[in-house]
Amino acid sequence: MVKKDNSINFEKHSTKSKIRYSFFFVFMLILFIIITILNINIGSVDISVPDIFKIIFLREGEKGYYNIIWHIRLPRICMAAILGGALSLSGLLLQIFFNNPIAGPYILGISSGAKMVVALTLVFFLERFGRVSSISLVIAAFAGSMLSIAFILVLSRYIKSMSVLIIGGIMINYICSAITDFIITFASDLDIINLHGWSLGSFSASNWRDVFIAFVIVTITSIIIFILAKPISAFLLGEAYAKSVGVNIRVFRVVLILLSSVLSACVTAFAGPISFVGIAVPHLIKRGLRTSKPIIVIPACFIGGSIFCMVCDLIARTAFSPTELNISTVTAVFGAPIVIAMLIKGSKRE
Amino acid sequence: MDYYLKTSKLSVGYNGKPIVKDIEFGVGKGEILTLIGPNGSGKSTILKSITRQLEVVSGTVFIGENDLKDINYKDMAKKVSVLLTERVRPELLTCYDVVALGRYPYTGKMGILGKEDEKIIYESMEMVGILSLKNRDFQKLSDGQKQRVLLARAICQKPEVLVLDEPTSYLDIKYKIELLEVLKRMAKTEKVAVILSLHEIELAGKISDKVLCVKGENISCYGTPKEVFKKSIIMDLFDIDEDAFKMYFSKVDFYE
Repeated sequence: MVKKDNSINFEKHSTKSKIRYSFFFVFMLILFIIITILNINIGSVDISVPDIFKIIFLREGEKGYYNIIWHIRLPRICMAAILGGALSLSGLLLQIFFNNPIAGPYILGISSGAKMVVALTLVFFLERFGRVSSISLVIAAFAGSMLSIAFILVLSRYIKSMSVLIIGGIMINYICSAITDFIITFASDLDIINLHGWSLGSFSASNWRDVFIAFVIVTITSIIIFILAKPISAFLLGEAYAKSVGVNIRVFRVVLILLSSVLSACVTAFAGPISFVGIAVPHLIKRGLRTSKPIIVIPACFIGGSIFCMVCDLIARTAFSPTELNISTVTAVFGAPIVIAMLIKGSKRE
Repeated sequence: MDYYLKTSKLSVGYNGKPIVKDIEFGVGKGEILTLIGPNGSGKSTILKSITRQLEVVSGTVFIGENDLKDINYKDMAKKVSVLLTERVRPELLTCYDVVALGRYPYTGKMGILGKEDEKIIYESMEMVGILSLKNRDFQKLSDGQKQRVLLARAICQKPEVLVLDEPTSYLDIKYKIELLEVLKRMAKTEKVAVILSLHEIELAGKISDKVLCVKGENISCYGTPKEVFKKSIIMDLFDIDEDAFKMYFSKVDFYE
């Protein structure tokens, strides 16, 4: 009798969380659509919603509006959505890897490493050839990310405390930023204009070609991550337990770091370093869903990151228009308080 | 007696340097082997080596017919499950979720639980007496409760060998006894070979079929509790003198 009761209870429990997950996803989807429309709608020229639908789906309408939507706003929105998702996922993977909720690509200095190598590459290519392809920037960013990660991994061998490791990350941040500033100071004038805006982070220079490249890289990487949800879930109890249920830890550690780096490198290559998204979004998503099961959290984090970055970009564009803010300025305003709250809560528990 | 897990000339240690040498023991299905010995004597190192958390320095571990080295990780996971001393800090996972992670070797590519898996998770939780905790956040439990959840996790992995490193550490006396009862039942009804390390030698004597004394370089003693739990052996193992021995043990006996 008792057993039967329990199983009924269990069914109830499992449907209850399924309903929660479904609601959460529907809610995020609606939010995503609303923020997309708002983003197209608002700007230096406001375009009405019927006009938007006409221009997007029927490809007809006033020439000026048409150009604004198709050549300026849409690619930028797509870029914010793709890279925001990538950033959030990249953070989630690092948090699982280091078994700590305050790990992220920006705070561990990974974004700055990428920024440094991209700046070097930009200056080098622009001086020699006058142009540089997006792909080579992505590769440069990836190389830079790996450089920082290698450093962090070496540190993590000696430093077991996560907070000290993060201070290490911040130091990497300073070193890389110093070198980047150095490069900018001595680069020729034309390069500086390109470099300066980019090194602070912005989606403003997005075009369809870049969107396409980012889309391909991020989609493939994210799908691989989703497929790996099962071994990632084993990692939640730490490496020793993951090993004991049959995960090949040595290979899997490398895979996890590579995937996370590809994502954050892609973001840095196209939009520059963007702060706090990688920590704040996964945290909010996990709280909202009340679970950290990867199979649910991975897709949710992606959509959440997209929404977060689109909202921040909208604010960056419009808050003090016509002056644009850097995207990091806005993400920091929202993200930093969340991280501080996490730190306080975390230290209370200990 | 047929041994399911046995070692031959096994040396264990770190980075190729042996800490304990010439370890020879065997455990049959349904038997309980307990490792006792002072702190830092190498009990954990032995347990880590036979579960492949650590590379074996030299010698062989056999599981069934096979050399441990020749078993792939996936098959290994279906044969051996562990309860470790290291702290786990999963964020926002219910006890049910944590226990369910033990089904890992049996689920499909995406790790989705089937009806059979759910049933086994349920039975494992019931066996350890944590069914009432199933929806609670793992992080918010007491250390003792966490330990029992992790034991349920190890049980629901349906192993043939269950290895536990100091499973009673965080438990108060009631749960200590309960946990050891569960292990006894596991061994007898499910025909699992149980290998564990214990600090409480008075309990070790009551549940073990065999006891292995680990001290420094070599195994100092190996046999049934009757053979091992002799005053001279215990005094030697823990480096205690007659007075200390009396203070600890005779008092317990006196009240009994």
